[in-house]
Amino acid sequence: MFKTICALLGDPVNPMISMCALPVAGGVLACLSRGRSRGALRMAVALLFGAANLVFALSLYLGGGASGALALGVQGLELRLAVSGIAALMLPFAGLLFLIVAVYAASWFHKREGGGAYMLLLFISLGMLNGALMADNLGVLLFFWEGLLCTLFGLLLIGRRENSKAAVKALALSGTADLILMLGILATARLAGSASMSEIAARPLSADGPGALGCACMLLGAMGKAGAMPFHSWIPEAASDAPAPFLAAFPGSLEKIAGIYLATRIVTDLYEFAPGSPMSLFVMVAGAVTLFFGVAMALIQKDMRRLLSYHAISQVGYMLLGIGTGLPVGIAGGVFHMMNNALYKTGLFVAAGAIEDQTGTTDLHKLGGLRRAMPVTAACFFVCALSIAGVPGTNGFFSKELIFDAALESGTIFYVAALAGAFMTAASFLKLGGAAFFSEARLPQGRRNIREARLGILIPAVLLAALCVLFGAYNALPLQTLIGPALGDAHIHAGWPENGTLVLLSSAVLLLALADHVYGRKKGGGALAAADHIHYAPGIKQAYALAERGLLDPYNWLMAAANGFSAACAWIEGGVTWFYDKAVPGLVTGTGQTLRRFWNGSVSRYLIIAVAGVACICLIFLLAALGEVAP
Amino acid sequence: MSSILNGIPYVFVAAPLFAFILNNAVPRERMRSHAVALSGGVAALQLAAAILGFALLAASGRGEVRFGLFWSVDAAGAAYLRVNLVSLFLLLCVGFVALASALTAAKTIDDHRCSFANLFMALLLGMNGMLLATDLFTLYVFLEITGTASFVLIAMYKSSKGLEGAFKYLTMSALATIMMLTGLALLFMHTGSLAFADLGAAALSGASGEMDILCYGALALLISGFAIKAGAAPFHSWLPDAHQSADTAVSILLSGIVIKIAGAYGFIVLVELFGDLYAVRLSVAALGVATIAFGALLALVQTHFKRIAAYSSVSQVGYILFGIAAGSPLGLVGALLHVFSHAAFKSTLFSGAAALHEQLGTLDIEQMGGLQKNMPVTGFASVTSFLSAAGVPPFAGFWSKLLILISLWQAGWIGLSAAALGLSILTGAYFLRLQKKVFFGPRNPRWDDVKEIGGTIRASQIVLSAVNLGAGLCFPLVLLYLQSIGLI
Repeated sequence: MFKTICALLGDPVNPMISMCALPVAGGVLACLSRGRSRGALRMAVALLFGAANLVFALSLYLGGGASGALALGVQGLELRLAVSGIAALMLPFAGLLFLIVAVYAASWFHKREGGGAYMLLLFISLGMLNGALMADNLGVLLFFWEGLLCTLFGLLLIGRRENSKAAVKALALSGTADLILMLGILATARLAGSASMSEIAARPLSADGPGALGCACMLLGAMGKAGAMPFHSWIPEAASDAPAPFLAAFPGSLEKIAGIYLATRIVTDLYEFAPGSPMSLFVMVAGAVTLFFGVAMALIQKDMRRLLSYHAISQVGYMLLGIGTGLPVGIAGGVFHMMNNALYKTGLFVAAGAIEDQTGTTDLHKLGGLRRAMPVTAACFFVCALSIAGVPGTNGFFSKELIFDAALESGTIFYVAALAGAFMTAASFLKLGGAAFFSEARLPQGRRNIREARLGILIPAVLLAALCVLFGAYNALPLQTLIGPALGDAHIHAGWPENGTLVLLSSAVLLLALADHVYGRKKGGGALAAADHIHYAPGIKQAYALAERGLLDPYNWLMAAANGFSAACAWIEGGVTWFYDKAVPGLVTGTGQTLRRFWNGSVSRYLIIAVAGVACICLIFLLAALGEVAP
Repeated sequence: MSSILNGIPYVFVAAPLFAFILNNAVPRERMRSHAVALSGGVAALQLAAAILGFALLAASGRGEVRFGLFWSVDAAGAAYLRVNLVSLFLLLCVGFVALASALTAAKTIDDHRCSFANLFMALLLGMNGMLLATDLFTLYVFLEITGTASFVLIAMYKSSKGLEGAFKYLTMSALATIMMLTGLALLFMHTGSLAFADLGAAALSGASGEMDILCYGALALLISGFAIKAGAAPFHSWLPDAHQSADTAVSILLSGIVIKIAGAYGFIVLVELFGDLYAVRLSVAALGVATIAFGALLALVQTHFKRIAAYSSVSQVGYILFGIAAGSPLGLVGALLHVFSHAAFKSTLFSGAAALHEQLGTLDIEQMGGLQKNMPVTGFASVTSFLSAAGVPPFAGFWSKLLILISLWQAGWIGLSAAALGLSILTGAYFLRLQKKVFFGPRNPRWDDVKEIGGTIRASQIVLSAVNLGAGLCFPLVLLYLQSIGLI
């Protein structure tokens, strides 16, 4: 059937253009929905267009990819779209996740304001993401990449025209990353003599020497989109007040897909990325730092949204760590982890959204005992939480084991960092789960009658949890059927990990986290305070205080530097203005007044001046006669 | 054609003379109402004759037309007057400014109209004579005629200010007379002739090639004398008093043309004759710098409309001196064109002064403000005058200043060129201050009922604004024409 659709559409470029154009059309339709039934209309549009997009994506994937150039190509810049390998896999995966988050968003905005604009931008984002995944030309890729930045900025602005700080921060940080990416693309295209990714992939560039700049800049651009440090700090800020579906769609899944896809392409296709090379070390350090500090910040959060947003940062660290090793197992692990993360992190955000929808708060101080009121949400939450913690048998466990394997091979320090991250991840989810679902119900007045979430929110949550279970139970499906062929490496080991020692160590870390939780609970008097003994430990406490005040945020450093620079400029400008406004006119007018007092109307003075003038002219002639002045 | 060309120069002497006789022959009661019209007619006739003569002379290819006033057997000796392209152009400027002055006088001069016409003719005759002379002494005699007519014109309305201004002018002119006569005497002692043809740098240095120090003294004295007449700094002290206290119609004449013919034309002659001596050009240039700077700085702090205009004239004469000092044909053309553009924009400005004085009764700019609404024509004319003076393209003043700057550059005075450019900012500054205080800003409630001026002053303002802009727009054509006749 898919082949029939392809044949019907003729030129292979048509479905690809459709995948960019269709979502935009859907967004416009959703945005135009008015009246009482606009919620239902939006849901219909989300289902219809999300499913259509998924069908196109699947047809491309099952059809073995496609390639075609746009007719409007300018001389020297071929606007080529090509789908193959990892891109072909990512398209239906992104389509599936989009379908889920679009349904969730349509449901979330059912009775809320701002849904039209949100749906429009969400759909345009899908078009941009599809374009970025399909782009073969680096310039075209950059175009769609910037499009994603624009929609991100727009989404953060919706409903918050007064408080646009998070949007500006996101724009500044992602914009910086995109600028670096642009530099990287320029350097890469110059070095390769071509901007076509498939042409570069035929003869990958060396990541050492002159290629190092291009490779590092492109990787930084990819990391910026994925939300790795130091481009991360807008995410927790946006998490405080952005609509819940935004968190599920963007920091949760779509941005990770884009960023990790590009990082994978750079590492596998564009550059010869040797394990143990400086470039590999650079990515792994970035990954380890992100995963460790991200989860460290997540551990102390007392708000569900902020806690999950810090995990969204920290999980990128694992993916980068895996991809950065440059080993096939690490890259496969990184990509697998990204897919798993998209499933469970979106699931967690949807569950958090369901709780927020029902209780009106995400503050963990005010939540508790929800497992009875919202059993399905609780079940989905626990499946996803077990996955993210990497409990043996879950999908997160398998991808993490691959990454651990690769990290240990590359350097013990990275493995230790990853294990420490796993410990804190487990501890923070024990704390979150315990505080929200198990403790005493501590809801605010009038919010006692909590019911199970709406179907439109529950179904996405259940679907995501089910996919997590599927990817965990049959990890051969994602690893050997999907990722292996996409990466051109069919021999990834699926099933139970071969290295038993690593499994034992991971399990031990999880048990340690559980023990720590029980200890912290007793000491702090409640699940919410279970991490306080780490938070307020001597030495660590001060570091956390600095971080909470934003003193460790690179964005704030940059802004402080920018403010200093602008203050200096203002000072200099003030000086220049004073010079022109005060000093020069003052000098001129002062001279004029002095001269005016001098020529005071006295004829005798005038005569004396005139005689002096004659003397001056005679002096000139005298000097000329003596040969002192000459042309 | 040739006979017309030969006849035209006589107009410049005959027209003022016959008008003078007519003015006095007809009984005063009958002449009174026509005296100013007669002045205007003579001015218009001179303007037409100068334009025609310039075109004919340029077309004929002759360098000059010589003529004498009295019939003589010895034709060569009798032809002691001449016109050439330079003098015809300046005669044109004289006629132009005299016409503007007569148009203003029709409104501003009420009593002593016949005396005004008499003095007007004398002034015209003096300036024309200077431009026609072929020897320094004749030049000097006509210069004194010009000066005497000017003193009386300033003083004839018997205000104490007018008398004071005239007295200062007279005192300084006496100094100039002393210096010029001494200088001429020294030159005559050395060369035995004051005819232009017999003078020159070569004539001053004897057989040894060494120059007599007395010749240097003579030149220094002549330059100082002309500097006083031109109002060049530091000899300018008399000028603002004289120009401010005279009637506005007289101010137009004095500021618009007299200082340039009596002073700047003297420098043109001196540089033409002795330009090979570096000291001559250098002292003219030094006078130019001082004049531009002092004039502009002093204009910036005045509060009387006509005094600002007078100091502006001082400053603009500095540019003319710069052009002359360059000593090249291009510099001379620049100076002559600046004489013209300054004549146009300064006449515009003084017409504005006349209009303001007629309608407001005062010329203190501190009491004015916001008059643009009441007097749109005057305000607009003043803006064209300002733009031309500040050297904003495409107004006439831009082109003449540009030529002067280029000629200075070519003469190797790059620093002077830069100074001239920098100091023209001051021109903009004092004109802008004048505009702001008079025409823009909040209006003094005292002037709520003030109306725009009408009659000949309005006509003259409109025509002069058109000249400010039109001359600038036509300038490329003028340049092509000058090129075709080989002036540059």
